[in-house]
Amino acid sequence: MLRLLQRLLQRLFLLAERAANAIFGEKLNPLYHLGALSYWLFWVVVVSGLYLYAFFDTSVTGAYPSVERLTHDQWWAGGIMRSLHRYASDGMVLTMALHLLRHFAFDRHRGFRWFSWVSGVLLLWLVYASGINGYMLPWDQLAQFTVVATAEWFDAIPVFNGLLIRNFLTEDSVNDRFFSLLSFLHIGLPLGVMALLWIHTHRVPQAKTTPPVALMVGLGASMLALSLAKPALSQGPANMAVTAAAIEFDWFYLPTYALLYQWSPAGLWALTGGLTLLAVLAPWLPPKFGRREVRAFHILANPDNRILRVKEDESILDACLREGLPMAFDCRNGGCGDCKCSVLHGEVELGAYQESALSDAERAAGRVLACVTKPVSDIEIEYVPTARAAVRPVAVHEAVVTSMDLLAPDVMRLRLEVDGGKRIEFYAGQYINILLDDGQKRAFSFATAPHEPGPIELQVRRIEGGRFTTHVFTAMKPGERLRFEGPVGSFFLREDGEKPIIFVAGATGFAPVKSMLEHAFHTGLKRQMVLYWGTRTLSDMYLRELAERWAAEHPNFRFVPVLSDPAPGDHWQGRTGLVHEAILADYPDLAGHRIYACGSVKMVEAAQPAFARQGLTPDDCFSDAFKLAPRIHGKEADLVRLGGRP
Amino acid sequence: MNAVLRYGLQVVLYGAFAATLGYFSTSPAFEPLPAGHALIRLSLNHAGQRKVACRTRTAEELAKLAPNMRAAEDCPRERAPVLVKVELNGRTVADISATPAGLSRDGASVAYRRIPVQAGTYRIRVALADDAAGTFDRVREEEMRLEPGRVLVIDFEPGKGGIVLR
Repeated sequence: MLRLLQRLLQRLFLLAERAANAIFGEKLNPLYHLGALSYWLFWVVVVSGLYLYAFFDTSVTGAYPSVERLTHDQWWAGGIMRSLHRYASDGMVLTMALHLLRHFAFDRHRGFRWFSWVSGVLLLWLVYASGINGYMLPWDQLAQFTVVATAEWFDAIPVFNGLLIRNFLTEDSVNDRFFSLLSFLHIGLPLGVMALLWIHTHRVPQAKTTPPVALMVGLGASMLALSLAKPALSQGPANMAVTAAAIEFDWFYLPTYALLYQWSPAGLWALTGGLTLLAVLAPWLPPKFGRREVRAFHILANPDNRILRVKEDESILDACLREGLPMAFDCRNGGCGDCKCSVLHGEVELGAYQESALSDAERAAGRVLACVTKPVSDIEIEYVPTARAAVRPVAVHEAVVTSMDLLAPDVMRLRLEVDGGKRIEFYAGQYINILLDDGQKRAFSFATAPHEPGPIELQVRRIEGGRFTTHVFTAMKPGERLRFEGPVGSFFLREDGEKPIIFVAGATGFAPVKSMLEHAFHTGLKRQMVLYWGTRTLSDMYLRELAERWAAEHPNFRFVPVLSDPAPGDHWQGRTGLVHEAILADYPDLAGHRIYACGSVKMVEAAQPAFARQGLTPDDCFSDAFKLAPRIHGKEADLVRLGGRP
Repeated sequence: MNAVLRYGLQVVLYGAFAATLGYFSTSPAFEPLPAGHALIRLSLNHAGQRKVACRTRTAEELAKLAPNMRAAEDCPRERAPVLVKVELNGRTVADISATPAGLSRDGASVAYRRIPVQAGTYRIRVALADDAAGTFDRVREEEMRLEPGRVLVIDFEPGKGGIVLR
């Protein structure tokens, strides 16, 4: 029954959201910003309330006239503020109720979310109490009704038992102190709302508490227009000797009061208490008796190469944001598609989303919307980290060149000591961007393994006409200072799985492979590994001895040098030709292997389809050049530009 | 969907939002009292007499008590419930027995009733008993016209002569 209700509500929400997407666009769909809109409306209420309070007279005789003066004598300020105060309060009830209903409909109130859900229910009550309290202040007929009805309602509680109403029997019963109490309450309750709002959103990683500006402008303008067209007005001064025949009623705040005289105060307590109890217990309904296995899984997130624990019922996005991963997101409701990522391994539950946000083809290719997708087994994902500086900016460092060694006629080894001896944390295979004076960047891979202390090693290949590399070879001296940002890049060594690894390095593509291999040796990786290093001549293979030494020292590692155009003086007896062709010849079936390819764009573009034809699955083929192939020639390409490019 | 249509529909939806707020913040009007009715509010907060009268302790009884407990009189704490009857033109509209507050039933009796009545002229009779025997020895009877919307408060204030109608 509950599931049926949820499915029905889901369907209604998805239909409404699809329509709103078409009208507002996915980024500005108000239904995706209900929580943030509630926050914003609350601030409108607070600011307008502070203005009203400055003119409010907290006395029996002064309250009504002061509100009247505020409303009529300065309609252009106080009158509008009063109307905004009322309409924003009403709007807040509406957005909060929809927010709550949406979370219920999409079953996003269970598991670890119970805290936000329960605090949200309490928040609704507190907002409700603040609003009702507010209606008592102008001391008009509605205030009189609200005060008397509240007293009569509370008198049903045995501890009061008819005593409260004695404060509101006649005109003489109400005194100035009562208005001081009301004013204190009208400050204290919103402060409680503020505190509870903070608690409510505190557990939601990177919860958005500010809606998009366009939505604020739209809603603000509509409420302003409403304030001018239908200003909030008082309903005649309170008079305890009479009761108004008809009251203009705020149905956002006072619907239960309408029931008070249809039922009885005790009946209303039973209804509100019962509904509140039901709402508070909703995360655990229907109850599941007996020992229940807690479903909590892990995510291996790439490119961070981090393993995260996912709480029960937690989405991939929430888990990643909770752990501080820079995953892009916007609507968090399966509508915009910003949080799309790839599930490389494992089973997931896709959740409800708009078809426009994730096509069937994308779904078939393993793409999911992280905000609505939950793991149902341990999974591995890959996503493109966001470049949002506010969340996780790429760190900028300053360093000094400590040594320069010519490894080959056109390859220079630079060692950089970061200021203060700071150690940079990075994944084997990542790179840094050297920042030039005019803001241009030049990318170079770490050639050192992450665990190694001391200077960072870069291997810089001279590019004919290249601005930075020419400077390195002609003018740079040890002691020169450099600025760089990093680490960056999603080409890194995955340490999961058992498949043998084939490293393919072209020329200075050896640098990141060196970092990965040294890391693998350091961590004791036992998988079979083979390095195919291709260069044009033997002198270009500048660290051949190092690779040969690794092969001698590590039984699980093999080294295959390949020259494409050996010089006569090389007396080369080894493999010749293109490096990827050597692999194709040695491995007729690549299905059981994992390949890390790092070299020129031309090399990897030629190798990838050839490897795929021989059985290599896309999940086992790693290269920034592969993944970013459509962007390689664009301005935003962030692949490892091996050896630097002008 | 072209931009003009989209912006137009946005304006319509913002307008619908404002209209929803505008309408339901005041409408439909609520009638707390049926049309043509007046309201009688009966409220009292009065301690009834002791259920058992005080009696003087004998010398033997006093001797058995600790020196600091030797009060001359023994007064059982429990009080009688306060009984109230309200009649309009001879018809009983409220017949209340208000139990004293407290675990020992030694506190004040509190009662409240909200009695909507058709507007008109009534002979109102209020009778109150606060002793253990339930003797309605405090009575007030008056003819009053209750206009529509009028609120008549019935209270009991011994300092102001007992039953008060205002």
